[in-house]
Amino acid sequence: MHVELSNVTKVYEDPPQIVTALKDISFHVNEGEFLCIVGPSGCGKSTLLRMIAGLDHPSSGQIRFRGDLLTAPHSKISMVFQTFALLPWRTVIQNVEFGLEVQGRPKKERAEVAMDLLEMVGLKGSENLFPKQLSGGMKQRVGIARALAIDPEVVLMDEAFSAIDEFTAESLRAEVAEIHNETRKTFLLVTHNLPEAIELADRILVLSARPAKVKSIVGIEMERPRIQTDSEFVSIHRDIFALLQAELENSIMRHRLSGLKEFKRLRDMEDR
Amino acid sequence: MIFSLWESVSLSGLVSSSQLPALHDVILALIQLAGTPFFLAHVGQSFANVTTGVSLALVLVFPLALLVGMRSQLDQAITPIIMLVGALPDLAILTLLVTVIGRGNVAAVAISAFSAFFPVYFTIRQGVKEIPGDYFHVTSVFKAGRVQTFTKMILPSIFPNLVTGLRLSFEFSWNVLLAVEVIASVAGIGTFISSSIGSSAHSLTYGLAAIMTVGLITIAIDRAFFERFENRIKRWR
Repeated sequence: MHVELSNVTKVYEDPPQIVTALKDISFHVNEGEFLCIVGPSGCGKSTLLRMIAGLDHPSSGQIRFRGDLLTAPHSKISMVFQTFALLPWRTVIQNVEFGLEVQGRPKKERAEVAMDLLEMVGLKGSENLFPKQLSGGMKQRVGIARALAIDPEVVLMDEAFSAIDEFTAESLRAEVAEIHNETRKTFLLVTHNLPEAIELADRILVLSARPAKVKSIVGIEMERPRIQTDSEFVSIHRDIFALLQAELENSIMRHRLSGLKEFKRLRDMEDR
Repeated sequence: MIFSLWESVSLSGLVSSSQLPALHDVILALIQLAGTPFFLAHVGQSFANVTTGVSLALVLVFPLALLVGMRSQLDQAITPIIMLVGALPDLAILTLLVTVIGRGNVAAVAISAFSAFFPVYFTIRQGVKEIPGDYFHVTSVFKAGRVQTFTKMILPSIFPNLVTGLRLSFEFSWNVLLAVEVIASVAGIGTFISSSIGSSAHSLTYGLAAIMTVGLITIAIDRAFFERFENRIKRWR
């Protein structure tokens, strides 16, 4: 077990409201696997990922990495961001080197590692460009290279392909699948794009609507490369989509009910 | 363009030289003054006072603006006070200062710093507020400590705002200082201008020459520092 979540609950207090984003989430991530987390929008899947990244803390429950309790960012857990989050005043290679710089690695070593990674993500020759000169896809390649530079064991991807046009995203996904295959690092991708999850994942964790619980964990046995038009792909998509759709209706129902309750409450107050 | 208009108006005799000295006369006066230790001392003093004032303001305000930009609770408590103080007229503050500290360079530097406070405060505060949250996530995930987060992320991020703030501070400070040098009884271009008025037949010429000096200094500083900074920023902005 590489990463383990036990009874993780996340509650936000905004008096007088108390919002439970995540409720009693328990699951584990196997070493070297590609796990995708899907769920309706706003269900808290990004919050979950941020907690594993050490950027947020559970209200109760535990997150363990290699058996040790996780309370802060870990040097072996890295992250790729939906917004790319490149530092604009740094060149491509300086961005990739960021984590290594923080660690105090010598200049020569940093440059070597960074150049290797830039070649791996297909950006050789662009190392001295600034982020403003890059397309979205290129920026995310830099983001991926930066995440890999510190040689992490776990790579967290928070909707990493969601801000990129579909064509570029498609090729980027294939590259990430390739990188996963070669490096055998543990990848954790949060996405609202179900076909994307099915294409990449060894297992898919389906979260329910808020308060999010683990609705289902689906293992994907298909051989790679996975074609979205294959009948097996389509059938898996249909099943999981049905799960998600039920959740979506659930959450709409719940909103309607809570809205109704609120309306009644206010009306009762007026009557008094 | 303005210069050619000025010169042609003077040469045509449209305006008498006692009302508006001709440009070439002013330039000659400027060259003459530039060789005078007396004048240069005044210029130097003004410049020193402004630079000291702005530096002082920067050192005092920078940490405050940083904190306020990062914690909105502090911001809500402190910024209204700063705005209130900033609305007070500089001249009134100076009079107060002179009463308390007495006349002299200390008061001049103080008033210089006072007028420099506000541009620096607001530009840096704005810069910090505009830092995307994800940048902080990046520094956290890659385990940058407080100092590294500051040097590697916050500082470069707000550098453009800092440049703007310094530029404005410099301008405000100059203007205020020149206006109040006489009141503070310090040496400086303002004092030079007011002391030269009425002292000779060509005092207006010399006055204009002194004003032109201020303009030239500002342009020189702009070219030497601020434009260089701006070019660096333009590479990545």
